[in-house]
Amino acid sequence: MTPVSIALLVLLAPLASAAIIALFLRRSGTLAATMSVTAAVIVAAGAFTLAFGGARFEAATSWLQLGSFTLSLGIKFDDLAALMLVIVGIVGLCVHVFSLGYMHDDAAKARYFGGLSVFMFSMLGIVFADNLFMMFIFWELVGFSSWLLINHWHEKQSASDASKKAFITNRVGDFGFLLGIIMCYWSNGTVNLSELAAGHHVYSTLIPLLLFCGAVGKSAQLPLQVWLPDAMEGPTPVSALIHAATMVAAGIYMLCRINVLMVPDALTVIMWVGTATALYAAFCAIVQRDIKKILAYSTLSQLGYMVAAFGLGSKMIPVSDTMVDAAGKLAVSHWQVLGAATGVGAAMFHLTTHAFFKALLFLGSGSVIHGCHHEQDIFKMGGLSSRMKLTFVTFTIGVAAIIGLPFLAGFFSKDTILYLAYTNNKAVFAILAFTAILTALYMTRLWRITFFGEPRSESAAHAHEGGLTLTLPLMVLAVLAVVAGYTSHYPKVFDGVFELIPEAHGSDHLTILLTSLFVLVVGAGTAFLFYKPAATDALELKSPGLFRLLASKLWFDEIYTYYIDKVQQRFALLLSFLEQIFLAGVIIRGFAGLVGLVGLGARALHVGRISVYVYWFFAGVVILWLFATGVL
Amino acid sequence: MSNLPFDPLLLSIAAPLAVALAIALGLPKRWSVRLAYAGFGVPALLALYAWWSYGAQPQAHGYALLSSYSTGLDGLGIHLTLGLNGISLPLFVLAGLVGLAAGLYAIQSGAERLKIYLMLLLIMQAGLMGVFASVDVFFFYFFHELALIPTFIMVGIWGGRDRSYAAMKLTIYLTLGAMLSLVGLIALYVKSGANSFDLIALREVIANRPLAETVQHNIFGLLMFGFGILVSLWPFHTWAPLGYGAAPSSAAMLHAGVLKKFGLYGLIQIALPLLPAGVAHWAQVLALLAAVGNVLIVGLITMAQRDLKQVIGYSSVMHMGYAFLGVACFSVLGAGGVVLLMVAHGLSVALLFLLATSIHHRTHTFDLTQMGGLAQKTPVLAAFFVAGTFASIGLPGFANFWGELTIFVALWKFSHVFTVIAVAGVVISAIYGLRAAARVFFGPPTEAFSIVAAAHPPADLSWKEKFPALILLAALLFIGFWPQSLSTPLNATLSAVYAPPAAIAK
Repeated sequence: MTPVSIALLVLLAPLASAAIIALFLRRSGTLAATMSVTAAVIVAAGAFTLAFGGARFEAATSWLQLGSFTLSLGIKFDDLAALMLVIVGIVGLCVHVFSLGYMHDDAAKARYFGGLSVFMFSMLGIVFADNLFMMFIFWELVGFSSWLLINHWHEKQSASDASKKAFITNRVGDFGFLLGIIMCYWSNGTVNLSELAAGHHVYSTLIPLLLFCGAVGKSAQLPLQVWLPDAMEGPTPVSALIHAATMVAAGIYMLCRINVLMVPDALTVIMWVGTATALYAAFCAIVQRDIKKILAYSTLSQLGYMVAAFGLGSKMIPVSDTMVDAAGKLAVSHWQVLGAATGVGAAMFHLTTHAFFKALLFLGSGSVIHGCHHEQDIFKMGGLSSRMKLTFVTFTIGVAAIIGLPFLAGFFSKDTILYLAYTNNKAVFAILAFTAILTALYMTRLWRITFFGEPRSESAAHAHEGGLTLTLPLMVLAVLAVVAGYTSHYPKVFDGVFELIPEAHGSDHLTILLTSLFVLVVGAGTAFLFYKPAATDALELKSPGLFRLLASKLWFDEIYTYYIDKVQQRFALLLSFLEQIFLAGVIIRGFAGLVGLVGLGARALHVGRISVYVYWFFAGVVILWLFATGVL
Repeated sequence: MSNLPFDPLLLSIAAPLAVALAIALGLPKRWSVRLAYAGFGVPALLALYAWWSYGAQPQAHGYALLSSYSTGLDGLGIHLTLGLNGISLPLFVLAGLVGLAAGLYAIQSGAERLKIYLMLLLIMQAGLMGVFASVDVFFFYFFHELALIPTFIMVGIWGGRDRSYAAMKLTIYLTLGAMLSLVGLIALYVKSGANSFDLIALREVIANRPLAETVQHNIFGLLMFGFGILVSLWPFHTWAPLGYGAAPSSAAMLHAGVLKKFGLYGLIQIALPLLPAGVAHWAQVLALLAAVGNVLIVGLITMAQRDLKQVIGYSSVMHMGYAFLGVACFSVLGAGGVVLLMVAHGLSVALLFLLATSIHHRTHTFDLTQMGGLAQKTPVLAAFFVAGTFASIGLPGFANFWGELTIFVALWKFSHVFTVIAVAGVVISAIYGLRAAARVFFGPPTEAFSIVAAAHPPADLSWKEKFPALILLAALLFIGFWPQSLSTPLNATLSAVYAPPAAIAK
């Protein structure tokens, strides 16, 4: 098989699986699951073949043509796509297998696995996309599959609301994204990624910022972060795959794809949005009780790291004189990456390690929830370290990785970002380092309260480890969470990305190392001293004011709800009312009344005598004649 | 001409008319229903045949399957000339498919006086096929009227709430719109001096001797407002939600899905190529009404609706705003987007009206605040409705996406501000679309619905309801995945027809 046909197989296998499930397997959950897992196996196998086989290619075909506009569908398979493909393949397969156990008794198993397949298809489309229109198509489709899977338990009002919120919030981001794509198309004459990279493009701050809106929605950055915590209403494996490892990271992947369009001002905005999100979400995570919500805020925070990393490192400078192009626009003839797009390297590196350890943590939480009979409140758990040993060990590895314990995956990728911040912007460095303290704090809190002490509920006391389908994916991901950081030992196939990772040297190296150790000790140490495995939150007891402030999450949801209910909806009702009154009532009825009056007048003329009609007829002829001859 | 031993276009009009005639002559009910299957099925099959064979058909004057019949009105330059070009082909297919779905849904509906109902629908169907098969402007208009009159009767007799008022309002608005556009078309006939209603002849004459600018301005104004009223251009749209709210489902499917596209089709096929200066003159006004009125104001009004049929009706008005914006662009891309959107919207709105009625059978209400949780009882119905909703809000994979996307891209060239407004509509439609779907199907059932559901346990979609819905959904997906099946002929025709006048307008 040629690489192109393997890529097509990888892309279309999940689509075929979804179609077959929707058409034929709606009532046979087990067959549907088999079908979906088979597709995931094909994806994973194809991903490895393509990525490690070393083939790098581009292929495209025109899909719609109207006038001078051509929309193509194509595959751009470079090292960046290869890396993302492998991540999606591995995590996707792990989550599919985990779902076999986790969703075993679900009433709508077929719909669930069909949804997973739709998601895989959509996500792979983003990975392969060689142009921005195509990326937008699959971008919308992942939004749909996210809606479908969050809404899986649709009889719950909260799930229904959360799915709606996720889709609409994403559409707000896509509003900017689509405008950015359209603007890019007309400004540069192309949206093909390779052509943009190779050719001239217009210097614009607006285009990258509009495109970034898409990432703000999909990767849940401030101020569109509100949908992600609610998205935890979906089944836990879905949270692991879509709302932690892959889909929400698509925003960062997209930014790396359009790296060439970046300009300094846009990057500054991106950097600060990411930094603010990282800090904000870490604060929110400290006071959550729901194990999935903690992980969700943690995901937000880590995505903020990636966005900040991208903004920090991907500076571009014009290297030759500007000139006027044929269209009369100022075009910069050549752009060069300053510091070799270190932002792309750092962001993708953290995306990679995060995908593994966060998927591990989410699946671990799924295992805990499954073991505790769907209890999600960590204060009602406790003592699970002895009851669920395998989950405990793997979860511990995940925690160690995310808080940056030396020699685990997160340690390397987080240090890279801190180093980048240290060399570029000290304020951002300080905030991100502080965020790292918070990360160590809330993760240690979660870990300690969940797994230690006495069981604090009936369900925790009877907790048990799940079957092999649940534990096997945990073990695979745990291994990856340990080794994923050693990029220098990777096969050379991802060098296009990993060569961009900035490396600290000399005294900077030492500074960063000491910082991250300090951060780890302070954060985890505080948590150890402060949080005992207990039924209540220590912070709530000791400092209720601070607790309430953090629990408020700065009232984002309240403000948006106020806007939607009290402003937008009322305005809509007002418009609807005005339409009833004015358009349908006064104006149209008014016209009708006017016509009626004319009719009344006309009726007065019709008195029923022939002679009168003749007079009127004569008058008509005269007027017509005058009109025709131009007198009137 | 085709390889078939008969003219497929003529037959697609004649078949439903013949069945309608047979029913009118007193065919027994059982045979009426059986023949009605043929009356709706034959045009659909012929439409699919035309679509499938279009590329291989020989073309004359840019038309495939071109043929002309004398009607005894030769002196006035009126011939029954039938043919399909890249613009009319997609709509001809739309008319065939929606007609079949509406017909099947009507047959299973068990409506009172079913025979007359089917007869009227068949007359409407014949008119619809005729509108898009006609190359002659006179017959284009004639067939529209043929289809329009049964609509009024169906709303008046089989309609729901407020049917008399709705029928009256519908009649006044649509007749006014039709009259205005008729004046415009006659003015075009007179001023061109072609002494023919044949669109090919008109094009040739006007290409050689363009109309004076003021004449173009006036005629386009007449057509824009005349056709505009028919397509619910803001602020002449209030007939639409009211009319569709009252109309029986099959009539609403055919009118909102197909007949309403008459006006836009007239603008794209006739007005734009023949009146380039007129378009340039009116484009800003048209775009302003469409963007601020149809998309923004009506979009927000849609959010305020509590009645399912009103949501669909208003959303349809909103989406017509996109179509008008595409017309205002006056480019191959914009006009192509309009045609794609017309087909897509026709299929999706017909699907939603069909499903709304099926929902009503189970909830006994259209009031969204009295439903909830229906998906637990009827998962298949829920899946169809969700698919229809996502189609109508422009999710990729459904035909609507291509229409919206191409219009947005074309619009940027015309006006940045209107593009921003139009794209904002994407968020608005997501809000009302998902809200409606969630209120009907998801969450726990409301108290009111629990009572209804206890008294009449809702059954899932039956095959008789499912099959017509499946036709529409399959078409939406097919075009969604394979847009070039329509865009290739469309592009060829538009590039040929638009290139010269578009250059003149610039």
